[in-house]
Amino acid sequence: MDITLLKKNSAEIIGFKDEIERIREAITDFESGQKEDIAIISEPFAGRTTLVNAIEKMTAHKVVKRSFPSIVKNKEELMFPERPKRIVVIDNCHFLYLRAIGGFDILEEFLQSVVSSNNLFITTWNLYSWNYLDDVINIGQFFPIPLMLPKFTLSELKELILSGYKEDELEFLDDVTSEDKRIINSFRYPVTIKRLKKTITIPFLKINFDRLRFRLSRKEEKKKAEDIIFEMINRFSNGNPGVAKVLWEKSLEHPIIKPSYVKESSFKIALDYTESFILYIILSMESLNKEDLVEITGELKVDKILYRLSQQGLITVDQGYYKIRPEALNSLVDYLKKSKVIW
Amino acid sequence: MENTTFPGVEVLNKPVDSGTILSLLLILIGAYLLTRLITSILIWVSERAGKHRITVKMVIPLFKFSIYGIAIYYILKSILSLSSYQLTAFLGLLGAAIGFGLKDLFADVIGGLLLIFEKPYQVGDKVKIGDYYGEVSDIGILSTRLITPDDNLVSVPNYLIFTQAVASANAGSPEMMVVMDLFIDPDSDAELAMRILKEAVVTSKYVYISKKRPFTVILEDYPFYRRLRAKAYVYDLRYEFEFKSEVTRRTWKEYSKKGIKAPKVTVMGEKTMS
Repeated sequence: MDITLLKKNSAEIIGFKDEIERIREAITDFESGQKEDIAIISEPFAGRTTLVNAIEKMTAHKVVKRSFPSIVKNKEELMFPERPKRIVVIDNCHFLYLRAIGGFDILEEFLQSVVSSNNLFITTWNLYSWNYLDDVINIGQFFPIPLMLPKFTLSELKELILSGYKEDELEFLDDVTSEDKRIINSFRYPVTIKRLKKTITIPFLKINFDRLRFRLSRKEEKKKAEDIIFEMINRFSNGNPGVAKVLWEKSLEHPIIKPSYVKESSFKIALDYTESFILYIILSMESLNKEDLVEITGELKVDKILYRLSQQGLITVDQGYYKIRPEALNSLVDYLKKSKVIW
Repeated sequence: MENTTFPGVEVLNKPVDSGTILSLLLILIGAYLLTRLITSILIWVSERAGKHRITVKMVIPLFKFSIYGIAIYYILKSILSLSSYQLTAFLGLLGAAIGFGLKDLFADVIGGLLLIFEKPYQVGDKVKIGDYYGEVSDIGILSTRLITPDDNLVSVPNYLIFTQAVASANAGSPEMMVVMDLFIDPDSDAELAMRILKEAVVTSKYVYISKKRPFTVILEDYPFYRRLRAKAYVYDLRYEFEFKSEVTRRTWKEYSKKGIKAPKVTVMGEKTMS
């Protein structure tokens, strides 16, 4: 998902100031004879592609750019017109390998060309693929400047989302009820006893951490609906701009948005180990078709597994390519870490 | 004859009434039920704790020993109300009992205590004690229970840790090293075979690799064959055999595509077909 991170009426990008500065320094060093290849690493939807597009614009006359949309299977796709002292920007380098026997040949070829070329390589990688490759082939040694894209701050997310609208186009309404303003609320949780085939409700108290945080910050009275909404989006998206944009679009009933419209997507994830592994593969590759998955897992039951993952709302399919649903990103990453599928 | 009495002896001479026996039994049953309850809860929690499974299970034996220890202390102190003389007499009798016939039982209890504090292995570990290999499912007061790869429940007396070497394959971590051997014909391309085996290991869905948990593939030459040995960590010790089997299956599938062959059987110095 390519998200627009450009500022309103400007070619300037929102966020990643330190990263852009570091890339600029590396380009300056390269021009003065010191080559240090760069790896830009991030979670899905975190704005890698937008960042490299901005870099391309910054240094248009010196850059050769290539973006891989899916797994690279032919070495010919790696061919670049060899010109000395150029900056080569390659987006989605995680498509250069396949987690299967014989799946590292193209990546090895690419790494060989990185070390033997006198061009500067600026590459982007999925975080989970990068971590895997770093453990398996120590890929970090080929890229002396690894840049992990940081999470967006609240103000950056707000600026990013509002950049798509005119001033006064949107209406922020406060609809937080008196119940929502309580710090402690009581709930009844239904529990089903399978043996007795009965459902009982257990009363329990739930702390409203949002309200508690507001109270502790002593800004409660000053909080506007706009601030509450963006704080919720920031928290639910965990600072991921792509996820935040999706949440925003789902919450907005143009031109009105209220705090009650912003809902955290909840997922009841229940997967066996093979299903978790396939989910991890989709997370780390970002976009895969069924044939790739069969080659990686050797599973004949891939159809059934993909159906289960879709049913739980974790993945989507777009023209035969399976991708992670942005809203599910944080939940499934937590799940995969807990079950140790992500090392 | 002069009737000599010692302080507190009159209590011992009295018959123990039914109320005392009932209290004693109730405390022991209560302690048993409490340990069962806590063990069940902790096992339930541990199975849902993902990578912290073994950490949660580690506290089960500690709870058991603590509950039984408190129960015995309470029985001696409050129910039987033993004075220091009576306690000395009780310990004397206990010593005699241990000397005559209960020494193995006592050794089991001491072994159990040692297992808790010394931790040569923990609940959830894969261990080899004497001739037995399996996952530790429980460390009891007297014995350690192992579930073997064939799903047999084996009770190993705790005192064996004093007499037998104990090997723990994972020492408290969920991941553990698995060693896989493959044998190829000396005429086959060994370099290619090593590369395929390495890729089969690192792409396995069960593998766990980190800077602290590296993998390796070793080649060794023998008179009639070459041995390839892969050493890598499985992400959860419960998948030890699935990991081995998956790597072996995928490797041989690729070997057959690339013309790498198994060693030929040698009969009386003559090579035959594999």
